[in-house]
Amino acid sequence: MSEIILKHITKEYENGFLAVKDVNLEIKDNEFVILVGPSGCGKSTTLRMIAGLEDISEGDLLIDGERMNDVAPQHRDIAMVFQNYALYPHMSVYQNIAYSLKIKKVPKSEIDKRVREVAQSLGLEGLLDRRPGQLSGGQKQRVAMGRAIIRHPKAFLMDEPLSNLDAKLRGQMRVEIADLYQRLNTTFIYVTHDQTEAMTLGTKIVVMKDGEIQQIDSPANLFNYPANRFVAGFIGTPTMNFFDASCEETGGQVVLQTDTGTIRMNDKKAAALKEGGWIGKKVAAGIRPEHVISAKDGASKVFEGEVGVFELLGSNAIVYLQTASGRMVMNTTDLREYTHGERVALGVMEDKVHIFDPETERTVTN
Amino acid sequence: MNTRYSDKNPLILRILGTAGKALILGVACVFTAFPFLWMVLSSLKTKADILNTDVFFPPDPQWQNITSILFDSPIPKYIFNSMWVSLAIVALQIVSGAMLAYALVFLKFRTNRILFAIVMATYMLPVAATYIPSYIILADWGLLDSFGGLIISSTVSIFGIFLLRQAFMQIPKGLVEAARMDGASHWRALWEIVCPMTKSSFITFGLMNFIGTYNNYMWPSLITKTSDYFLVSQGLRAFFVRDGAYGTEWALVMAASAVVVIPLLVLFAFTQRWFINGIGGETGMKG
Ligand SMILES: Nc1ncnc2c1ncn2[C@@H]1O[C@H](COP(=O)(O)OP(=O)(O)OP(=O)(O)O)[C@@H](O)[C@H]1O
Ligand SMILES: [Mg+2]
Repeated sequence: MSEIILKHITKEYENGFLAVKDVNLEIKDNEFVILVGPSGCGKSTTLRMIAGLEDISEGDLLIDGERMNDVAPQHRDIAMVFQNYALYPHMSVYQNIAYSLKIKKVPKSEIDKRVREVAQSLGLEGLLDRRPGQLSGGQKQRVAMGRAIIRHPKAFLMDEPLSNLDAKLRGQMRVEIADLYQRLNTTFIYVTHDQTEAMTLGTKIVVMKDGEIQQIDSPANLFNYPANRFVAGFIGTPTMNFFDASCEETGGQVVLQTDTGTIRMNDKKAAALKEGGWIGKKVAAGIRPEHVISAKDGASKVFEGEVGVFELLGSNAIVYLQTASGRMVMNTTDLREYTHGERVALGVMEDKVHIFDPETERTVTN
Repeated sequence: MNTRYSDKNPLILRILGTAGKALILGVACVFTAFPFLWMVLSSLKTKADILNTDVFFPPDPQWQNITSILFDSPIPKYIFNSMWVSLAIVALQIVSGAMLAYALVFLKFRTNRILFAIVMATYMLPVAATYIPSYIILADWGLLDSFGGLIISSTVSIFGIFLLRQAFMQIPKGLVEAARMDGASHWRALWEIVCPMTKSSFITFGLMNFIGTYNNYMWPSLITKTSDYFLVSQGLRAFFVRDGAYGTEWALVMAASAVVVIPLLVLFAFTQRWFINGIGGETGMKG
């Protein structure tokens, strides 16, 4: 049982830099929370404040209802996995994993039992006598993980734990972390740059920018209902296409007018646009690459593009086009070859268009 | 650079270069070792042979010089005093130095830099300038002419703080943070994580300060008058002037000096490996 609550948390570094601004976050027991955002947005700072490695300038950190701001990290009962693993170089793998239990004065026989259990679950049995210097990156990663899980802590904090691994190993470890989460039934707070990690591991994703939370939601909601243009552009690869359009109403039908075509709005979107008073005004619109389609497939033409680069990825292909509304990316499963310079008429899945306020960048309707 | 240099040069120049280096080092060695050798040899001579410059090696080794120092003189007592006082001082210096260096490197507090500047400024202070205030403080505390006074007046070593700080700065901060997350207090993190990783700096620190304290003359002679509290240097001097300027038993003085050095040689033999490593800088600590 552990519930972590951040109330109006602010971090101002000694040099006066505001790294985290008024962050509010509720993490329930057994959630897998992901912190994502561009480099320097304050993810690590937030995590380190929860850990106790960084002082909290303002606000309250509650763990299980208790205010933890001034509690030293060793008394918070939280485990952390560091990006560069931070294994103790002068200790063997066994000693590294056992260190926290030794501090807690757990009896030797029990330590031994638990170390072996953890080592087995992570495939480290053969390496217990080695020093960290004699391990590969993936093995170090596992030891760092073992050191955290042996404690049965209230929560696991992980700061980009997989970023030093190669792509294949990262994929493998990602699955193992997911598996671990299923087995351990504990709260995870996980910082990552990697979209796939965020979308596949998280039960709740926190998107940050410049020290502020942009949106907190489930992966699916974040993808389908971004709260603003930043989140819409940050989540999803390739990123969403943005274009300018004007919102008009002709004969009871609300449409978005681009330079080369129109997009009809469904009832929900039309209602939101009307209610916001957007009829007759310019809006910023967005459409994900996978929702851009060839106009030949029955969709009405919205853009006309000239093919730039064509990337065949196997089951799908990415087509980069230049249109009158700017660059467009199409992610298609129609695997015909597009040739450079070819002109293509593009349509969109009209229900999938996102509309943002061009000034505030807030979402008008998804 | 070195290899390129030698590749270009004919063999003869290389041999000359090596020979030159050997010569310089050899001369330096002789200059350093000669007084020591002379002392050891003199300790086995008679007084007359010592004063006779024609005799270099003792014609008839006078072993009784050594045995009389070991069994019939206060020198062993002074050695014992020096040993345990130095040991106590070094132990205190290591603990205080490690704690301060740890705070300077791993703790974040506003006055961190100022504190370090103050520490270093104290280093610049001439030692002699501290004698009078220190003397007055010890006198106030009634610690003059006592082991307590000797020990308490040397509990902090600025050199040691500096040496350890430099070594600690090589340790990734994440290691200390990981230890803290694992449940370690700062105290444990210092002794179980930081200290083992900077072992050679600790040994260098301990050894250099041990030798310094063991041989220290000026300060102990200012605050102690009773021979019960003498350290070796002061004891040696007392021994030296015991019989007046003309009665000095040179052979015994030499024997006493030789005996006094033995503990240091033994210590050095055991720690040499680490000692050199510590001066050359910690290795392999990154990552
Ligand atoms: N000790 C410090 N003093 C001053 N500013 C700092 C300090 N540590 C971090 N910052 C600044 O705070 C901001 C947030 O840093 P933080 O490490 O939390 O970013 P992050 O989101 O983890 O980035 P990344 O994805 O690159 O790891 C950055 O702009 C950084 O420059
Ligand atoms: Mg970071």
